[in-house]
Amino acid sequence: MFAWGPTIARASRSRLFQVPSLIALVALVIMAALTSPTASDGSHIFFEIGNLTDILRQVSVIGIIALGMTLVILTGGIDLSVGSVLALSTALVASLLTRNWVPGVPALQMALAIAAAVLACGLAGALNGLVVARLQVQPFIVTLASMFGVRGLAKWFTANENIDIGFGKDVAAQFAGIFRDKTVVIGSYVAAAILFWILLSKTVFGRHVRAIGDNPTASIYAGLPILKTQLWVYSLTGLLAGFAGVLYAAENHQGNPNAGIAYELDAIAAVVIGGTRLSGGQGTIAGTIIGTLIMGVLTNILRLNNIDSNVEMMVKAVIIVLAVAVQRKGRS
Amino acid sequence: MKAWKIFVLAASLALMGCGQNGGGQKLVAFSQANNAEPYRAAQKSLMEKLFSMTADVKLVTSDAQQDNSKQIAQIETFIRQKPSVLIVAPNERAALTAVMGKAMEAGIPVICLERDIVQPNYTTYIRMDNRAIGRMAGQFIVDQLTKKYGAPKGNVVFLRGLLGVEAEINRDGGAREILGRYPDIHIVADPVANWIQAEAHDRMTEVLRVQPRIDLVYGHNDPVAIGAYLAAKELGRDKEMFFTGVDGLGGPSGGIRKVMDGVLAATFVYPLGVKEAVEVGQKILRDPGYRPPKVITLDSVMVTPDNAADLYKKLTVAGE
Repeated sequence: MFAWGPTIARASRSRLFQVPSLIALVALVIMAALTSPTASDGSHIFFEIGNLTDILRQVSVIGIIALGMTLVILTGGIDLSVGSVLALSTALVASLLTRNWVPGVPALQMALAIAAAVLACGLAGALNGLVVARLQVQPFIVTLASMFGVRGLAKWFTANENIDIGFGKDVAAQFAGIFRDKTVVIGSYVAAAILFWILLSKTVFGRHVRAIGDNPTASIYAGLPILKTQLWVYSLTGLLAGFAGVLYAAENHQGNPNAGIAYELDAIAAVVIGGTRLSGGQGTIAGTIIGTLIMGVLTNILRLNNIDSNVEMMVKAVIIVLAVAVQRKGRS
Repeated sequence: MKAWKIFVLAASLALMGCGQNGGGQKLVAFSQANNAEPYRAAQKSLMEKLFSMTADVKLVTSDAQQDNSKQIAQIETFIRQKPSVLIVAPNERAALTAVMGKAMEAGIPVICLERDIVQPNYTTYIRMDNRAIGRMAGQFIVDQLTKKYGAPKGNVVFLRGLLGVEAEINRDGGAREILGRYPDIHIVADPVANWIQAEAHDRMTEVLRVQPRIDLVYGHNDPVAIGAYLAAKELGRDKEMFFTGVDGLGGPSGGIRKVMDGVLAATFVYPLGVKEAVEVGQKILRDPGYRPPKVITLDSVMVTPDNAADLYKKLTVAGE
């Protein structure tokens, strides 16, 4: 079906690899149209604006993490620590919001709390990047270690208890009200997606990210700033996970040191379904967004039809394998 | 190239769900926090059994697998389906408050089952009195130790559930309230086992290594009490101490059976609340003028070897 594939120049081939995932997404939407239960007026519940925006809101947290994960995987790396980093962020932001340390200036306290949580997570990411780049330890091992370490830090910081964000009128409750809002959550995801799409496809930095993963040896000979690029990629991933944590804390009205367990795997799945090669070099932000939406739409259809949520996991398994198999075929 | 295969697969799986939406049936949705806990699994099977008795009701359920975000998403999707009644067993109070408010705003009657939420975003809240259970357990501990030593004294271990949830706070606090009056009863360890038997096994093993003499273990649910028993048995110390739990489920794997088997000295029935939830739900479905009480509080019963056999018969869901 994609017989024109080989004739396309290598540089633009990665664009092609998102085609199968896009077809899968379209197919899922058609399925949704065919199977969607109907409201009392005969309209499809799936296509209600409320439902479609539900999907976007629900995928936003994983979607934001997956943007960073795309960069990391493009460099040939992996980041297993993002779920733990998210938990740390929820704990930090909730703690800074529920303490009275900037009396009388709620907006300032809110801004500082968010900035501190996100920056701390950026630092955790930078530490990952530093060890990967400087000590040349495999990213899997480095981030496996920080997955435990950062989770431990979040648990220690909170004494493994949730920090509740109340429903009163204080700054913490105001924060939750703003960042739980559907428009804000979806808007954040869209903004981050556009930012990272530009970063990856329109900047020198983006070219370096791909080049390092595509051919590490050539990148060394070409004198690319490998250390700096890796450091930034892991830092950005930490920042994004931190920001996702801020949204998570607002959504759940709490800082939760046990939040985000296995989120790294959901994010990796979204990236891989979106056509990014796990060994690096090839992949796009658009593909990852499609991968994220595939997971979200799939969950939504199955839930609307009240299919057992355990079945959902099995279907996801099949989709992941199929997505990768299709992309291998497209490449050969 | 094989994209059509994805399509076919997705189609066949999605179609499994079709044909279930029978016309004219009233939809009741039940959002369960975590079906992996036996207490919650029992809630689900009893609810399915009770609603299946009326043919015009279709019950759909979801399992959030102890994940707040997942439960929020599942309830959001239920709201789109506009059920006639929504029953929610919330995973955690703060996290589920807002989305249950959304359901209320959408005009769906909401029955909050067992765990409370921060704001009263429900039509009816069916609550069990964990504080009372905690006090009953505390009194049982005092009585048991007095029987053993002739005076209220001894070493007690608490195995705690998920910190921060209402059941944990009150099962713990109620017992401490009573034990606080007896200076010679010492709580020598109180590790957190998160309601999970395997975690209790590990935590109790550590406690047993450190504590040379333990008189009684109070597990804040039956699985953790059983986990503690298994740990003590492994180290040959199960005869040294009594084990008590909370939940008192029927069925062969429930706590009542464990009292009959002599594993637990006592447990306290934590009512499922399902019978009451279904009653309220049915009335809402049938009688538009029905205004259910805002809060329904259910009582507990202490299960000891004396009444275990009777309660086992009464509280075992047939077909379980």
